[in-house]
Amino acid sequence: MDIQSRKRELFKEFAPRLETTSLATKIYIGFLVAIILVGIYAFYLQMAKGQIVTGMRDNVVWGIYEVNFILLVCISYSGAFISGILHFFHTPWKTAIARIVEIITVLSLLIGPIYILLCMGRLDRLHYLFMYPRIQSPITWDIIAIITDIVACFIYLYLTFIPDFAILRDHCEERKIPKWVKKLYKTLAIGYQDTKTQRDRLHKITRIMSTIVIVLAIVAYTVLAWIFSLTLQPGWNSTIFAPYFIVGGLFSGVAFIIVTMFLVRKFYKLEKYIRKMHFKVGGIILLILAMLYGYFTFTEYFSRWFSHKEIDTNLLDALFTRYFWVFIFANYVGILVPIGILFFKKFRTINWVTIASVIALVGIWLNRYLIVIPTLETPYVPIQDTRIDYIFYSASWVEIALSFAGVAAFLLMFTLIGKVVPLVPMNYILDSHFTTKKVKQKVNKEISE
Amino acid sequence: MKSNLYNHTFFISIIAALLLCTNGIAQQIDLSNYSMRFVFKTVKQADNTRLLEVSFIGFNDNDRKDKIPVFGAEIQFLNVLNDEEILLGSSKTSKEGTAQLILPENQKYVTDEEGYINLKARFNSTDALSEEVADIMVKDLHLDLNLSEIDSVKTVTLTAFTVNSLGDKIPVSELDVIINLNTMLSKMNISEGTIIDGTYTFEMTESFAGNTKGELAISAVIEDNDEYGNIIQEKKVQWGTITKQVKANDHSLWTKAAPIWMYVVLSILLLGVYINFIYTIVNLVKIKREGDNIKTEPRKNYTVY
Repeated sequence: MDIQSRKRELFKEFAPRLETTSLATKIYIGFLVAIILVGIYAFYLQMAKGQIVTGMRDNVVWGIYEVNFILLVCISYSGAFISGILHFFHTPWKTAIARIVEIITVLSLLIGPIYILLCMGRLDRLHYLFMYPRIQSPITWDIIAIITDIVACFIYLYLTFIPDFAILRDHCEERKIPKWVKKLYKTLAIGYQDTKTQRDRLHKITRIMSTIVIVLAIVAYTVLAWIFSLTLQPGWNSTIFAPYFIVGGLFSGVAFIIVTMFLVRKFYKLEKYIRKMHFKVGGIILLILAMLYGYFTFTEYFSRWFSHKEIDTNLLDALFTRYFWVFIFANYVGILVPIGILFFKKFRTINWVTIASVIALVGIWLNRYLIVIPTLETPYVPIQDTRIDYIFYSASWVEIALSFAGVAAFLLMFTLIGKVVPLVPMNYILDSHFTTKKVKQKVNKEISE
Repeated sequence: MKSNLYNHTFFISIIAALLLCTNGIAQQIDLSNYSMRFVFKTVKQADNTRLLEVSFIGFNDNDRKDKIPVFGAEIQFLNVLNDEEILLGSSKTSKEGTAQLILPENQKYVTDEEGYINLKARFNSTDALSEEVADIMVKDLHLDLNLSEIDSVKTVTLTAFTVNSLGDKIPVSELDVIINLNTMLSKMNISEGTIIDGTYTFEMTESFAGNTKGELAISAVIEDNDEYGNIIQEKKVQWGTITKQVKANDHSLWTKAAPIWMYVVLSILLLGVYINFIYTIVNLVKIKREGDNIKTEPRKNYTVY
């Protein structure tokens, strides 16, 4: 079978999902839009009435918005990191998951920073950050890192999409695809004809971008950790926070990718491409990361406990009293249970690996919560003569609504992207098909000689 | 279901016996293998009180490391002159086999014609142990430790003398003395010498930190002297040289203005990354141009992969 026939065949396979939208999908999209609308109303309330509608007060100035921000940005960085690694090392099983990882990277990087904006009391002064930046502030470094990373991830994602846009452009005429979508394919394909020079050029720049994306992910992770660790706050001022964030981010990212793989496989009927082997490899990577993350978590809390500084003792007291069960779930259940499941070969099945990933994700969200909130509730300056709700934080419905709106926005955008391009990259399938064919021909030739 | 316990009656019985009889494995000590050591010593302490101490321990003849301190043995301490024995007090040995008695500074002793105090420690025999007696003869030596700065030099002056029956101070000579600086865990030897004509002088040129108040605890020690036994004298003096931390530990964050190197490094990093972005876009434009050319030119001129 020649390459053109194979392309046609692949388009035929993926086209129905691009052409039609089932009733169930429409209801699902409607549900997501409803959640986003509630979120928009919550956002309106917050803008109109101020931070008073949230649980954030004078001491705890970062709530679950910051937790969501860290989690999503870490997932994005880890997506970029993993995607870059997959591409750079020509990983054979990247075909099935590469696009999912790339979409996760961009979407979480789009939604994550919105949460940090929601923490700001005076959004009308947002432009001050760019007009009067203090270059010695880690916040400024983070803004620079995030913006640069967004640009890099967009370019990288686009580069990996170009061959698929070309295939879609070349074959969409025969199908019932809306005109604007056909036009979109044509524009985004930028005249790519898969000639040798075009292909070589595209491969070269994609490879360079994959390296940049890996480096930027590490830099951005580090800068994000420095926002915390370069302060003197108890629980934050730690030398190992940057590598701890990198490992924690990769842990959450891999867990998130596994859960997404499970959902995409189930709802997009991609069992042919996303196989048990992907979950098995994902499970082993998650196991290694869980052990590393557990080691870092233990070191972090142990050194804090052992040094016995008064302020650290106060923080640890809070963690082991008010936040006891959260602490137990975040740092015991969230780490040890995934290790326990993934350690045994017979549990490395699709369902068990996904369950371990869900537990890990919940655990790491709670871990981020414990990093942000209890520290802010344990300030150096004693709190006196104030209301109890000014000292202790609890999320309001506005914050919860906006958190769910973020999740809904992520799912909605993921679904819409899935309506425009196949979630399994066709060009990667072609690459692996013809690479295998070439290798077989070469081997046969060598044998016959 | 039949219990498996019945299958192992022997072992179960042993375990039960061990659990119920905690003393069942205690060994009976045969004292005939042990030699008793009864050591008596006296120390005149810094506050001029006198410590009388007996160590009463049995050592295994075959294994010298095997020793059993005698616990609860009553030791009598006596001041002896000729046949006359004056009971100074009695004390029971501790778990370590040590009995102590501290006699106050103003304790009156009977002495012989040469001025020796004869001290005796006695353990009266019991059913298991025979009588033990030890004695010591010491003269009452007085040490006067003077710590002063002479011409800005920290000087330790030790005066040693005895007092005769008339109350006159008689200086002593040829007596070895050690000057120590008492530290938290041990004593640091800072000088050693001999008392001549009742005086020993030592100039302390080195600086020491001392305790948190800047005090140094200096002691003079005479050890195991045949005539005077053990004598310790100690004094504290404000000679500590503390280096105070001058810089205050303020918690301000870093700097008000970013250093030049930060601008340079950040600019280089960002420039490197954004140049790559531009390079990528330039390549995309080239891909687009090539694609546009294919549309306008015959397709056969291009090698399709």
